[in-house]
Amino acid sequence: MSEEIKTTPLGRLAAALGRFFAYAAMGIFSLMTIYPIFWLVMNSFKTTREFQVSQLGWPKEPTLKNYAQAWEMGEFGKLFPNSIIYTAGATAGIILLALLAGFAFAKLKSRATRPMYGSFVIGILLTTNTLLIPLFLEMNLLGIYNTRFAVLLVYIGSGLPTAIYLCTEYIKSIPSALVESARIDGAGFLRIFWKIILPMAVPVATTVAILNITSIWNEFALINILVSKTELKSLPLGMFKFSGSLSTDYGKQFAALTIGMTPMLVFYVVFRKQITKGVAAGAVKG
Amino acid sequence: MARRKKADAEERRAYWTMVLPAFVIYLLVMAFPIILSVVLSVSDYSGGKMFGGEAWGFAGFGAYRRIFIDPYFWNALKNNGYIVLVSVFGQLPLGLIFAYLIYRRSVRWPDFWQGVLYVPNIISVIVVGLLWQTIFSPNGPIAEVMNRLYRADFIAKLQGIFDAAGGFQISDDLVRKILDVAGPAGSGYFSDPVPELKELILSYDPSQLSVVLNDLANLFARKWSPTFLTKPDVAMLPVLFVILWMYTGMYLILFLANMQKIDAQIIEAARIDGASDGQIMRFIILPALSGTIVNSAILAISGSLSSFALIFTMTGGGPSRVTEILSIYMYNNAFLGRPNFPLANAISLVMVLISFLLIALTKAVEKRFGGKE
Repeated sequence: MSEEIKTTPLGRLAAALGRFFAYAAMGIFSLMTIYPIFWLVMNSFKTTREFQVSQLGWPKEPTLKNYAQAWEMGEFGKLFPNSIIYTAGATAGIILLALLAGFAFAKLKSRATRPMYGSFVIGILLTTNTLLIPLFLEMNLLGIYNTRFAVLLVYIGSGLPTAIYLCTEYIKSIPSALVESARIDGAGFLRIFWKIILPMAVPVATTVAILNITSIWNEFALINILVSKTELKSLPLGMFKFSGSLSTDYGKQFAALTIGMTPMLVFYVVFRKQITKGVAAGAVKG
Repeated sequence: MARRKKADAEERRAYWTMVLPAFVIYLLVMAFPIILSVVLSVSDYSGGKMFGGEAWGFAGFGAYRRIFIDPYFWNALKNNGYIVLVSVFGQLPLGLIFAYLIYRRSVRWPDFWQGVLYVPNIISVIVVGLLWQTIFSPNGPIAEVMNRLYRADFIAKLQGIFDAAGGFQISDDLVRKILDVAGPAGSGYFSDPVPELKELILSYDPSQLSVVLNDLANLFARKWSPTFLTKPDVAMLPVLFVILWMYTGMYLILFLANMQKIDAQIIEAARIDGASDGQIMRFIILPALSGTIVNSAILAISGSLSSFALIFTMTGGGPSRVTEILSIYMYNNAFLGRPNFPLANAISLVMVLISFLLIALTKAVEKRFGGKE
């Protein structure tokens, strides 16, 4: 709206209408997010019987029984540590391997860089979810089906292409003179990596961490075909148990979903700014 | 000279030390499965130990032939197409509009809107799938709202009938009118509707009309039973709605971040020259974002190929397999009923080939738009 138009009554009306529609559109979309989550959490405090009579009302006799039962049935006590191991382990692995490879691709001369870096970049659009069945068969073939190692391996491999792309492009922007002068002072490459590259690459490492923490914590399709033992399952698999035959036991299902959803919501509330930035920076194509 | 050579050797060693771990894992997780799927898709492997178990060997290209004559494959491919269409014509434009509204400060609290609209991307897809499944189900909040409306409407109609009759005056005519309102739920309930319902109503205390109305409403008021989760021809709609709802916030963040990179002075200058919002959008923002938009469209296609968990939890591919997408079609062929591994691997390879086409497309687009975004 230019200032001129705004001063005429009609222009002011148009501006007010525009604002109204802006708020209405944003409001409806936000409500579609906030209300279902609120509704889920609220109903997790009702017994299934009360829920079947009243889905909209406030719980009359709030109960924590659903949580106790869901925690036990879902064996969340086992799943939480697993989710933490997978998320932390794979994220740390991805960051370290991607920074190492990114450093080599960006600052060391080799004819292998072009084809190898190129193959990683192709992998950005080649999602592992298209390989569910061959991956399942491969893990059986290698004898590592139903192991944490297989889960970490697949998660790291799936995260590497994007991470290597981001790290390589970032390290390219670090002045080569820094590396060269350290070389002249007699420092080895690994030492240069630890002392110069790693401290300078904290921003890109943060982006990679944020992208992977959320996606690995919530990952379902891959781990679903990689493990079948409860001792190795992660939270999303535990929550999935409450679909199917248990799906009409609403009280427990809602409690299980609330348990599974809360850690990421807290993570999001705390790191929202970094997550938003990371998503914008990480949406890359090959 | 010797020192130079030594330094080169050291650099080479360092290079491979740093690159190989990542590359080996990458090969194991991406390249090897692709090769395996090529081999197995033309074999007669049917599970069990791959070596030392039951013998298996080359069996021709039957799996591929089967895919292409399988109507379920085309159905799954079509559903993947719908997901792409919802992304390109739903999420992208909505994300762009929301981003622009925030960018030009049409709404206050920009961080709040951005923050809330991104929430669906943060919570597990399992939560999203099960939550929306319940919301759309006959036990969800929509059902309760609708049932209350139906009930209120039903009671109002009966009240009207009683009012017209002048109170608790039960005649065959009145009973017939009530049965009319109740529809099939009413007439189906009795074997001989008119006398039976008449007797039922007469068994009440005439002074408590509201009790009669309430009980009749409990019996006969319409119940909201959503057909869209069980009716095959529309079963994809709720899924697509949830997909639209989920990812719009991601595109909002993407577009907003790139809008904020545009030099604000250019837009300010255009505004002073009297350009309208539409013109600013069309001649400044859209051209500046063209790279991002093309990227997003490509991401949408690869995203549709990798989606699995949402549909797996929301519908499981049902009813009668109409909401299957390629990944679930593949999964069901391997794990549901008798495993058909050659077929599942062939599907996997088809998906990989689509991805490669996509990569080629990206390269072509990159040439056209020039440089990396």
